Amino acid sequence: MIVYLPAALFAVSVLAAYGSVGRRRQAATIGAVLAAEWSLALLVDSSLTPWAIGPIVATLLIPRHGARARSSFEGLTRRVITIVGALLVAVFLASRLPVGENPVLLSAVPWVLGALGAAWFISPIDQPERLQGQVLMVAATAAILLAAVPAGPLTAGLAGGMALVPIAGEHWRLPGRLRPGLSALLLLLAATVALLAAVVPGNVALVLFDIVLNVSSVTLLGAAILLIAGATATPIGIEWAAGLGVLTLAAAVPGLRWAALAGLIAVATTLDRRGERPAWLAVGALAMTSVLASLATPSWSARVQAVALAAGLVLMLFAARAATLRVLALPTTALAVLLVLGSVNAAGLVRVQWIAALGAVLLVARAALTWLIPDISGREVLRDGFIGGLLLLAISARDALGLGVLAAVLLLIDAAIIRIDDLPSPSSRWSRLVVLARSNWPGSITFAAATITVIAALQAGLPLGLLAALLLAALQLAPLVDHRGVASAPERPRSALRWVGPALSIGCGIAPALVLRMLQLTR
Amino acid sequence: MQALLPFIALLGAAAIVRQRPRGKSNGWIAAGATALAGVIALVELLRLSPGEHVDVPYLTTFPYADLAIRLDGLSLAFATITLITAALLMLARQRVRGDRRDPWAGWLLTSAATCAVILADNLLLVYIALQLLTLAWSGALDEAAPRRRGLRLVVQVADIGLLLAAASAIQSVGTSAFSGVPSDTFGLATFVLVLLPVVVRIGALTQSWGGPREAVVFEPGIAWLAPAGYLLLRLLALMGGRLPDRPTAVALFAVGVIAALVFAGLALVARAGPRLAGLLLAAQAGLAVALSTGDQPLLTVASTWLWLNLVPLAGVASVRSHDGSTPEAFTLLGLAMVPGSLAFVGLWLGALALNARGLLLAMIPVGLVVVLSMIAALSHVIVRRPRRFDVATAWAGALALIAAFPIVATGTLVVPAAATVRLVPRGTVSVSPFGLATGVGAWPALAMSVVVGLVLGLAAWRLVGRLPLRSRATGGGRRLLSFKRARLVKPSLPAWSHVVLWGAFVAVVGAVAIRP
Repeated sequence: MIVYLPAALFAVSVLAAYGSVGRRRQAATIGAVLAAEWSLALLVDSSLTPWAIGPIVATLLIPRHGARARSSFEGLTRRVITIVGALLVAVFLASRLPVGENPVLLSAVPWVLGALGAAWFISPIDQPERLQGQVLMVAATAAILLAAVPAGPLTAGLAGGMALVPIAGEHWRLPGRLRPGLSALLLLLAATVALLAAVVPGNVALVLFDIVLNVSSVTLLGAAILLIAGATATPIGIEWAAGLGVLTLAAAVPGLRWAALAGLIAVATTLDRRGERPAWLAVGALAMTSVLASLATPSWSARVQAVALAAGLVLMLFAARAATLRVLALPTTALAVLLVLGSVNAAGLVRVQWIAALGAVLLVARAALTWLIPDISGREVLRDGFIGGLLLLAISARDALGLGVLAAVLLLIDAAIIRIDDLPSPSSRWSRLVVLARSNWPGSITFAAATITVIAALQAGLPLGLLAALLLAALQLAPLVDHRGVASAPERPRSALRWVGPALSIGCGIAPALVLRMLQLTR
Repeated sequence: MQALLPFIALLGAAAIVRQRPRGKSNGWIAAGATALAGVIALVELLRLSPGEHVDVPYLTTFPYADLAIRLDGLSLAFATITLITAALLMLARQRVRGDRRDPWAGWLLTSAATCAVILADNLLLVYIALQLLTLAWSGALDEAAPRRRGLRLVVQVADIGLLLAAASAIQSVGTSAFSGVPSDTFGLATFVLVLLPVVVRIGALTQSWGGPREAVVFEPGIAWLAPAGYLLLRLLALMGGRLPDRPTAVALFAVGVIAALVFAGLALVARAGPRLAGLLLAAQAGLAVALSTGDQPLLTVASTWLWLNLVPLAGVASVRSHDGSTPEAFTLLGLAMVPGSLAFVGLWLGALALNARGLLLAMIPVGLVVVLSMIAALSHVIVRRPRRFDVATAWAGALALIAAFPIVATGTLVVPAAATVRLVPRGTVSVSPFGLATGVGAWPALAMSVVVGLVLGLAAWRLVGRLPLRSRATGGGRRLLSFKRARLVKPSLPAWSHVVLWGAFVAVVGAVAIRP
């Protein structure tokens, strides 16, 4: 009987939350979190209790108005449909992915916590509810994964602490006087990490109590990319979000890894909400891969994992068209997928390649549609679609020569760091350098990346190779349509660091073999 | 180090002329440096033993595209011919009065890029160098720039065929280096892919060259024809000098000859000028492609002769000369493939080789191309008294002299290059001051040139009042399909297309997930 109490507490809390405002609603929300914590303790172990600290503190930090927000019939209907739909999906997933032999009502509590968060996020009654929804989604991601793949108390606490990240993204901005120093520090760190990538052999696991961080060459290079992106291309004041990306790549425990990614998505969509829903869907799909690996029956787990992995990547590429999603979330997700892909078996890899190929076509077609459908707002840069497509093919190639990984890293640098700023005024040497850095000519990172992608894709299979060649050909033609268009960048004033992107492009474009060495694929 | 000397000369000169103010001396520096680079390549060629090749690796900055230089008969012969042609074009441009533009840095960089294509040691590096070459001749750092956009993009896209071939080699044998690729690596599909850049560059010859004010055009000989010929012969060299199978050889021979017939036919209706020259050059290139399909040493020598001599011929045809000037008459004779011209020597050798195999009938369409080219070219000839002696006159005259004395080019350039493509046994072609001799026949070059010169001179003397046979102002000038004229037509789609797109994606993802 006691095993049903968390579900009962959750139900009461949700009803109270929907029926009250202000502090009482806050208390009801905390009750829902406590129900999930109780469920976790019963499902796994009481050592996971620290998980709840983060979501509870975050809930307390969200300001609640005493007065009820005005609601309309349409709004109310939408909210009801959303919560009912989300709960049904959550219960269905919980029933298909039971934790051991526990009753569904017990193992469903973390899932329905996520459903509650999703419902508040999708159909919020006001801004604080939307923020609360993000907090609950991040917390539920960590809870579900901790239930599937248990971890130590510190890891659980840190994973739960990710629920604070949406609040931090909303309110915490680095003071302006610290920015130059922090940017320089991040660049210095990036250089150090890149150097380490070139000299550290194999994989190293760093253990701090029960927190385990994997340090491999891909992780180090990814960290360097994220730190540079954080220093040069993120919006003012949230450079620290690059750390979340690094944590995502390095975390060994899935609960911490995907919760950090969810937190990163929350921060990335604080200022610019374009693409936030597909981005959250992508996080959900990627997090599901770890859940499936632990809880699903082997008969279908492997194939759905592969599909979820590829679909999550496609969704993230679709979402990350601009702003911080593109600058931080895209490289983090792509590199995380790259790391996970190493453990996918051959049959799963074929599924990944299928979806990657279709995703490449989808990305290009979606960008092309914005040009072909009249009266549509915001035409997209076609070249970004082609680069996204090539990135999918490069990641899915997993060739013996290691060129796919190299191409993926180069394309990520291109998409996240180099193509995100306006072109300077023409006819100066500086502008010519920037034009070369963003062109498809030899010497630019795009040329190197696209060329290597074609080779890597051909190693994986003839159809992939031909598709990559077609994308490359279309990439050459894209300037006819795009002209001088670039993706909209996060709001940033001109800084002294604007040389970093072009220099990186030319450097990587001329000597991609150095990056290959950092990836330690030639040793 | 000496392998780098041509590049040092060209790039050093480019750096110098960029730094200097606009002036006449820049042209001399450019022409001198290019000629020096050509001479260096020639010296290297002369130092090579028969059949020898030297691979000089420098750096690995690009995976599977090591910065390495390949010195063999084929690369050095093409480098020599191309660089000397480039130097002559620069000299001709230097003599042009009234044009204050300073093209030297661009031309030097184009020469260096062509040199890089020719001397590159692996297919991937060749692809990279081809892209650099396109950037150099088009000068379009901004890819949206309208200058020759259509042609540039077509060339860029066609070059992907070479990239696929390189990737295929890497997949098969782990490298695309010329020394590491066995002769059976490339199949029919790969061969066709590599033909794409060749075909597009030959097609580029038929597009209009330069603007109305450009007295000398650099691209046709240096940036299009030389790389095209080199690529085809290099591919044949990688394949051991022969095509994958006999049907492929026959098909390619037919395609080459038919293309040549089409170009020569179009030349019949073209006005005198760059368009006519381009069509006739393309016709010659088509014949060169056709003869490249043969599996006999003599046929390889013939095709190599044609390709190598097309480069300077394209160069002299790129120098705009006055109506009725001596170089124009010489150039038209060269383009007409009359007996005694450079091209005719190659065709004669090809005919000898085919005759030895009992395939002389295959020369009938080739002969038809020659006849059409003669009609097209000679009907535009005007004969006037030479007014002054200039670079183009000397150049065109030198080409006629080489046709009369093939000993000048055969032993030093053609045979070493052909011997790289396939084994050419000693004695396949022997040369003397009077002509060429082979095991299956001879070509009395000097006697034939004298006779043809006398006949043409006599004909010109008799017809001087009636030349040209066709009016220059009219005569068709029909336009071919031009890359400039292609316009994208933007279709309009309904707003629910997004739903269809995503629906299809979800359906396929579901199918992939369910499929056992």
